[in-house]
Amino acid sequence: MPIGGFVIALDRSIQDEVLTQFAKFSQIEIHGVDEEGNAVAVIDTETSDEMEQLTRDLQKIDGVLSLGVTYFHAEDEIEKIESGELKPTLSFGRKGEKPANCS
Amino acid sequence: MSLSRRDFIKNTAALTAASYIGMNLPFVAGEANAADVASWHRGTCRLCGTGCRVQLGINSKGQPVAMRGEPKSRTNFGYLCMKGMMFYKIMNHPDRLTMPLYRERKDQPFKEISWDKALDIAARKFAEAKQQYGPNSTAYYGSGQCLTEETYLFQKIMRAALQTNNVEGNPRLCMASAVGGYLTSFGADEPIGSYANIEKSSCMFLIGSNMAEAHPVIFRRVMRHKMNNKDKVKVINADPRFSATSRIADMHMQFKPGTDLAMLNAMAYTIIDEKLYDKEFIADYAVFRKGKKVLVDMEAYWKSLQDYTPEKAAKICGGNITAKMIREAARMFAKSDGTVSFWCMGINQRKRGVWANNLIHNLHILTGQLCREGADSFSLTGQPNACGGVREGGGLCHILPGHRLVVKEKLRNQVEDAWGIPRGRIAPKPGAHTIKMFQQVNSADIKAIWINCTSPAQSLPNVDLYRKGMAREDVFIVTSDIFPTRTTELSNLVLPTAFHFEKSGVYGCTERRSQLTPKVVQSPGEARPETWIATEWCARMAKYLNDPVVLQTVKPFLGKEMYVEQPQAIWDEYTQKLTKGRDNDLRGASYTVLKQMADGVQWPAPTEAFALTGGTVMKFVKGVDPMATSMSKNEKPFQFYGPAHPDKKLWIWIRPQAGADEEPDADWPMYLSTGRVIDHWHTTSMTGRIPELMRANPYSFVEINPKDAMRYGIKPNDMVEIESRRGKVTMPAKVMEGPIEGMVFAYWHDMHEDRMINKVVKDSFDPGSKEPEFKICACRIKRVSGPKALKPFIVT
Ligand code: SF4
Repeated sequence: MPIGGFVIALDRSIQDEVLTQFAKFSQIEIHGVDEEGNAVAVIDTETSDEMEQLTRDLQKIDGVLSLGVTYFHAEDEIEKIESGELKPTLSFGRKGEKPANCS
Repeated sequence: MSLSRRDFIKNTAALTAASYIGMNLPFVAGEANAADVASWHRGTCRLCGTGCRVQLGINSKGQPVAMRGEPKSRTNFGYLCMKGMMFYKIMNHPDRLTMPLYRERKDQPFKEISWDKALDIAARKFAEAKQQYGPNSTAYYGSGQCLTEETYLFQKIMRAALQTNNVEGNPRLCMASAVGGYLTSFGADEPIGSYANIEKSSCMFLIGSNMAEAHPVIFRRVMRHKMNNKDKVKVINADPRFSATSRIADMHMQFKPGTDLAMLNAMAYTIIDEKLYDKEFIADYAVFRKGKKVLVDMEAYWKSLQDYTPEKAAKICGGNITAKMIREAARMFAKSDGTVSFWCMGINQRKRGVWANNLIHNLHILTGQLCREGADSFSLTGQPNACGGVREGGGLCHILPGHRLVVKEKLRNQVEDAWGIPRGRIAPKPGAHTIKMFQQVNSADIKAIWINCTSPAQSLPNVDLYRKGMAREDVFIVTSDIFPTRTTELSNLVLPTAFHFEKSGVYGCTERRSQLTPKVVQSPGEARPETWIATEWCARMAKYLNDPVVLQTVKPFLGKEMYVEQPQAIWDEYTQKLTKGRDNDLRGASYTVLKQMADGVQWPAPTEAFALTGGTVMKFVKGVDPMATSMSKNEKPFQFYGPAHPDKKLWIWIRPQAGADEEPDADWPMYLSTGRVIDHWHTTSMTGRIPELMRANPYSFVEINPKDAMRYGIKPNDMVEIESRRGKVTMPAKVMEGPIEGMVFAYWHDMHEDRMINKVVKDSFDPGSKEPEFKICACRIKRVSGPKALKPFIVT
């Protein structure tokens, strides 16, 4: 269950509209916006997939200039990988024995 | 009110983000920080050349569990990109190599063996090659991702013990033209200024760089500066491809691939034509040159530019380039209070990459946009330690540590004396540059090669040609790495190495900044630091070669504790003995100092007291750069003391337009260019194992201009074959207003046999820098089918 801390740079001219859009996502908490349009956000999702999808969706919103990640926590996942409970979905086993292939 | 553990973590996340923008939040920092991270450890990001400082969070069991940016760092001020934030997740990946693997023949399966056996085999094979076929039958191919201590030690062993200059590394593929450009224009390698110039600039000229994806944290600074000063700060982006970087530009100059030299010359033409140059700066500090030995005057230079009037250049450049646009760009560049240029592979990976670098420097010298706040000619570096390790530490075939040329006897002798080995021990001729090295693997003139922390079997241009050589049974290949790669597939011996934060060592990033990353995590299984591996290997070779100099090479490091003491001893030898008095003087940047600094030290930094201030923010400026002060020859404020220019002047070069080595024709009508995407690092052996990053870009795409897509009947996601004279691949299409019409742009990270674009790319190279022209070749494309479900792929 990853948690990320972000600074999201907003276009100040449409800042309020962007924040209204953000409010539709229950996984996002906005902790404030400074006078330059930098929003402090915490994103808390069930899975890494969801986090990744959400950050991508946010960047598509008009008025989101950039999404800067400043903190990332994934202890639960790391412990599960270490204990063998979770296998990263893009691992394909280890030390595959293949002869050299130069196609 | 008591907080749940999850709330603690969320508060930490919020506080961390808020601290970067100076916002106060109503939480108590101590409360939030108590959440499950037992300690935070400062280090450098493992990935790109930006050099962002990170803090790795370790829990009470010693596991890495969290990452955050270092807010006190002057490179990133706490910001990281997703890659930087997540790289620690691969430390625990089950694919990590944890035992040495060996096979006598490459068609056999690997077997796990002990370190003792592995090192013995490696020592015997290299010693036999040297004895039977001579020193140059051995080679080392390293990486801009190795620690400086590692590169320095390997090159020392190759030159002193094995007596070959066959020392290369993948920075040849990305930075060599920038080195050539700096040496020939300024007389000294590496940028004059720092990232700090971004916020002080009024104009930013971004050419041949998609920094929004390749250097996202530097781009964040550029973007913020532009957004905060929308009218005052101008951004010019020059690139045949409209990229994520182009979005913030006031002007996007989209020229035909390979016409950059004409465009840059036309900007210089305008600067002179409209008298926008800095007469005094030129008179004080510059000369004009045609060839290394031919001095010319400004009149001759002006005459050479007559072929590049904006009108003539606009015709050569095509795309959206007009004479008016060139003039406007030149005016913005010259008239601004401070102009910084940034470029990267689009300029370096060209048949005439050094010339392209020279022509950017020309603009800065002509206008005096150097050595003052907000002004610099700044080549971005791809890898985290291409500058620190390979350029400074002697990691290429023609250079010794401390920016010394192999061909100069006096400089070789300095190194031999520092190492305590007989004079004449270092071979007088440079070794084989990267392409030549792998040609010699193809012909089996090289019999034993050590490949460290890189995957040439995927990253070389025209890669299948060189994979055939690497597959030869009469070429013995050792690969040291953390994961299986396309290169381990072609190796006899695979050695598991410790990862970042599992060993101590220094990275030197793009802005001459050296930063220490300490060992704080235990490496898995029997993975070991490369410095230990190399030391033990060399000690064993001493027995086989029965040569006391071989043992002398590693004697100062033998038997030392491998994670901290050994790298520290290597760093001390390098900095104290080899950088003393050189332009990259790092004597003040001891481990003791580096440990204290949030963001390391910028060289030159001759003393610890000076290093503790952060070092030299801008080279060549008296009062700022201690060497400019100590080497001052006159009363002028700038002293260009670089070792490559005996006249201590900046050189403005006459360089003609030169196209690509392979231009499109009737049979091969399209340009092919390649590059990176934000989520991946090079060959994906690391980022391909981080699900969040891999899912974002699970395989390579080819970007096709909508007009070309229509001509070829290609729709988004259709499978498209890209073929050149060398090979072909098939990947899905992205139809977009990205590449200029007539050019396709493919991502190069994919390891899949069907999608490895380097099979198609040409291996021609710059005759000066020997850097391959990855950015341009000729190809043809065709639609082979509609969309197909593809699976991401990594070698295991
Ligand atoms: S910009 Fe480069 S150095 Fe910075 S966090 Fe991203 S990959 Fe790491």
